[in-house]
Amino acid sequence: MKKSEVRQSLNTGAVFGIIHIFCVLIGFNAMMGSLLVKIVGQKSDLSAPTVASLVAYAILLGLFAGIVSARRQHEASLAKRVLASLLTGVVLSILATALVGIFQLLLTNHINPRNTFPTLSFPFMKACLFKLAGKGVWINFFIFLGSTVLGGLLNGLWDLPTVTSSRKNANTWIKNLGEKISGGSPKVKKIKKYAFLGLAILIVAIVPVEWGSYWNYVIGTVGLYVILGLGLNIIVGLSGQLVLGFIAFFAIGAYTVALLNAPIPFNIMLGFWPSLILAIILAAFTGLLLGLPIMNLRGDYLAIVTLGFGEIIRILLKSDVLTPFTGGPRGVQDIHGPMIFGHEFNDVNYMYLIIFAVLLAIFVYNRLQNSRSGRAWMAIREDETVAKATGVNTGKYKLLALMIGAAFAGLAGAIYAARNQYTGPDEHAMMASINVLCLIIVGGMGNIPGTLLGAFALKGLPELLREVENYRMLVFGALLVAMMLIRPEGLIPSKRPIRDLPDLPDENQSQEPTGAAVQAPGEQAHDR
Amino acid sequence: MTADTPTHLKKKGIQAAKLVRPILGVLVSLFLIYRIFDVLVVQKSFGPDTWTRLLIAGLILGGVYALVAIGYTLVYGILFMINFAHGEVMMIGAFGGYFVFEILKVIPAGSSGSYFLNTYPYLSIFLAFVGGMSISALVGFFLEKVAYRPLRKAPRLVPLISAIGASMFLQNAMQLLFSAQLRNYTNPDILRRGAGWTIAINNSDVVIPYTGVFSFVLSVVLLIILYTIVRKTKLGRSMRAVALDKKTAALMGVDVDRTISLTFLLSGALAGAAGVMWGIHNGMIYYYTGFIPGIKAFTAAVLGGIGNLPGAMLGGLFLGLVESVGPALLGIDFQLKDVLAFVILIVVLIFKPSGLLGESLAEEKV
Repeated sequence: MKKSEVRQSLNTGAVFGIIHIFCVLIGFNAMMGSLLVKIVGQKSDLSAPTVASLVAYAILLGLFAGIVSARRQHEASLAKRVLASLLTGVVLSILATALVGIFQLLLTNHINPRNTFPTLSFPFMKACLFKLAGKGVWINFFIFLGSTVLGGLLNGLWDLPTVTSSRKNANTWIKNLGEKISGGSPKVKKIKKYAFLGLAILIVAIVPVEWGSYWNYVIGTVGLYVILGLGLNIIVGLSGQLVLGFIAFFAIGAYTVALLNAPIPFNIMLGFWPSLILAIILAAFTGLLLGLPIMNLRGDYLAIVTLGFGEIIRILLKSDVLTPFTGGPRGVQDIHGPMIFGHEFNDVNYMYLIIFAVLLAIFVYNRLQNSRSGRAWMAIREDETVAKATGVNTGKYKLLALMIGAAFAGLAGAIYAARNQYTGPDEHAMMASINVLCLIIVGGMGNIPGTLLGAFALKGLPELLREVENYRMLVFGALLVAMMLIRPEGLIPSKRPIRDLPDLPDENQSQEPTGAAVQAPGEQAHDR
Repeated sequence: MTADTPTHLKKKGIQAAKLVRPILGVLVSLFLIYRIFDVLVVQKSFGPDTWTRLLIAGLILGGVYALVAIGYTLVYGILFMINFAHGEVMMIGAFGGYFVFEILKVIPAGSSGSYFLNTYPYLSIFLAFVGGMSISALVGFFLEKVAYRPLRKAPRLVPLISAIGASMFLQNAMQLLFSAQLRNYTNPDILRRGAGWTIAINNSDVVIPYTGVFSFVLSVVLLIILYTIVRKTKLGRSMRAVALDKKTAALMGVDVDRTISLTFLLSGALAGAAGVMWGIHNGMIYYYTGFIPGIKAFTAAVLGGIGNLPGAMLGGLFLGLVESVGPALLGIDFQLKDVLAFVILIVVLIFKPSGLLGESLAEEKV
C-alpha cells in the first residue's frame, strides 16, 4: 500500500471514531441501536435500550466504516481492501475503546459523567461498569475491529460501488424516472397528464374524510407550507431576491384574521371570508410598503434588511406596548372560524379549504411563471443589469414579486390562524422564515413539484420521525448541509436556461454590494 | 444625461424609490429630533447618572458585537458568504471557557482549602480564554472544511443554506451534549459580577463593573491585534490578496485554501473570545446563547459596511450604543430595543446602501 492510501485509511478511522464518540455522548448510539433491534423484530423499548442494541449499533457502524474505507481504494485487490479496512478498524476501535476506558475510570472514581453529559445513555454506562467489567474494554475493541474488517471483506467480495459512481447512478435514476413519468409522445403525455390529474382529484376528494384529525392537521400544515413556499418561490426562485423575513407577511395575514374574528381584544367579528380577503390585501400592501424603500438594495443587504423587518414585526406583536391591540405575548385566542351552511368548519372542511387554496396557489404560480411578468422576473434573476438594459422595468417587477409573494403568505396565515383558533408572536419567529427558505431549496428552487416535495420533506417527514424527537433538528441540520454538498440544485431541479459562455465571471459577480475586506476602491474581485 | 444611456434606464427603474427616500428621510429625521428634544429638554426623563449607566452598558455590548462582527466581515470579505453559523461558534467558545473554569474550580492549589481558580486568578482567566478561543477556532476551521469548502464555486444561496444547516446542527449538538439548562459562569473572585468601581454622579452611585471594563478593554486589544495582523503580517497580506482576486493570488504563490482556513481560524478565535467575555460578563450561557448576538453582530457588520474591518468595529460599537441608549433617548419601551436596532439598520441602508463605511460599490460596480 502507498503511504497516501495508508493515511487515507487512518483518516477514515479517525473520522468514524470521532463520529462514534459524538454519537455516544449525545446518546444517539442507544437510540439507533434500539431502532435496529426493533426493525429486526426483537421487542425493545426505545426509552430503555439494552446492551444488545449497543452491540447492534457498534456492528453497523463498524461495517459502514469498513465499507467506506475499502471503497476508497480504487480498483484494488481484495487483500488491499481488507488491509485498508483493518487500518481503519484499528483507529476506530482504539478511539471507541479509549472512550469506554475513560468512562470506566470515571465511574470507578465515583464521578458520574451524566452530570456533564445528561443525554448519555444508561445502558452504555452500564456496559462500561457492570456487565462487562474488566473484559468490556477488550470486547468493545474486537467488536469494532471485527465488524470493520468484515465490512472491508464484504466490499471486496461484492465489489460495492464507489461513492461517486453510486451518486451518479442515483442521479441518472432520478432523471430517468422523471422522464418516464413526464416523457412519451404528445398523445401519451396528454393521457398521462389526465390520468395523473384524475388520480390526484380522487385522492384529494376521498382521503381527508378517511384520515383522522391528526393526519388532517399534519397534512394541512404541509399544505399551508406549500402555499408559503410558492410565495417565497416567486420572490427568491423566480425574481432572485433573497428575502429572509418572509414569515412576517404570514404573521400579518394571521393577525388580521385573528383580530377581526376574536372576542378579545376588539370583538369585531367580521366573519372569516371578508377578513381573509382583507388579510391578503393587507399582506400585499405591507410587501409594497417594505419594498418601496429597499428596492435598490441587493444580495446580502436585502437579506439582512428583510430579516430585520421580520424580527421587527415579531417583537412588535410580542411587546407590552401593543398588548391592547395584539394580545401581547399571549397572542389572540378563540378565533372564530369560517361558517358554511350555518355550521362551523371541522377538520375535514379545513382540509378541503387548504387543498383548494393550494390548488389556487399552484394555478396562480403556474400562470405567473409563464407570463410576461414571469419572464421579466427570470431575466432579473439571471442578471439584473442586463434585464434593465433590455428594457425590463426592474423596480416595478421586483415590487410586484414581493407583493404577490406576500399575498400568498397572507392567505396561508389567514387559514392557519382560523384553523388553529389561535395565533401568537412566537409562531412567527425567524426560524420559520428560514424553514420556508430551506423548503424551497431542498425541493428545488423555482418549480412547483419541488415545492410540494420540499414541504412534505420538511414539514411532513419530522412528524413521521416522532420516535427520534430529540435528534430531529440535529439530523435535519446535518441533512441540510449534506444536501447542499451532494445535490445543491434541490431534489427536483428546475430547468433553467444554461449560459454557454464559459469565460464569464461568476453569475453573482455584479451583485456584490461591496468589495473585499480591505479592497482598494474601484477594483473588482474577479474570481471568488 | 442623455435619454438612452443605461444609467437612465436604471434610474427609471427606481423612480418610485427616488420619490420615497427623501420623504421618508425628512419624516424620520424630524421624528428623531422631536423625540430626542422631548426627552432631553422638555421631560428631562433621566439624570446624568442613568445616561452614564446606559453608556457603559452600551460600550460593553458594543465591544462584544464588534468582535463577532469582525468574524462575519473577515469571512465575507474573502468568500462573499454569510457565515450564518458564526454565532454558534461564539456559543461554543463560551462553553469552552465555562468548562475551563469548572475544571480549575475543583483543582486544589495553594494553601489548603483553596483552589486553582482563585489562587491564580489571572492565569485562570488566561486559560479560559485560551480554551474558549482554541475550541472556537477549531470549530470554525472544521466548519469551513466540511460545510463550505466544497461549495466554493456554487451559487450564492447554496453556502448560505449549508451555513444555516451547520448552525442548526451545532446548536442542537450542544443542546444534546450539555442539555438545555442554563449554566452559571463561575468567575474568579477578582472578576465578581456586579462588583466594580463606584463613582458618584448626580448624588447617586454609578457602578462601573470590573467584568465590563475587562471585556471592553480586551475586545479593543484584540481588535487592534487583528488589525495589525491584517495590515502588517504576511498572513494579512495573503488574506488581502485572496480577497481581491483568488486566481491572481494563487498565481503569485499564495496558498488560497490555507489562507481561507486561517481566516476561519482567526475569526473563530475572536468569536470564542467574545463568547468567554459574554459568559464572564452576563453570567448565564446555554445552547441558544450565540443566536441573538450572532444576528446582531451580523447586523453590525452590515451596518458598518460588510467586508470592511473598521466598519465592523464601528458598526458593533454603534449598535451596542443604540441598543442601550437608544430607547431611553427616544423615550420608548426598552422591550423595543431590538426593533430600534433593526430600524436603524434599515434607515442607514436606505440612505447609504453599502453601510456606514462601505464603499458605495453597489451602484458603480454594476
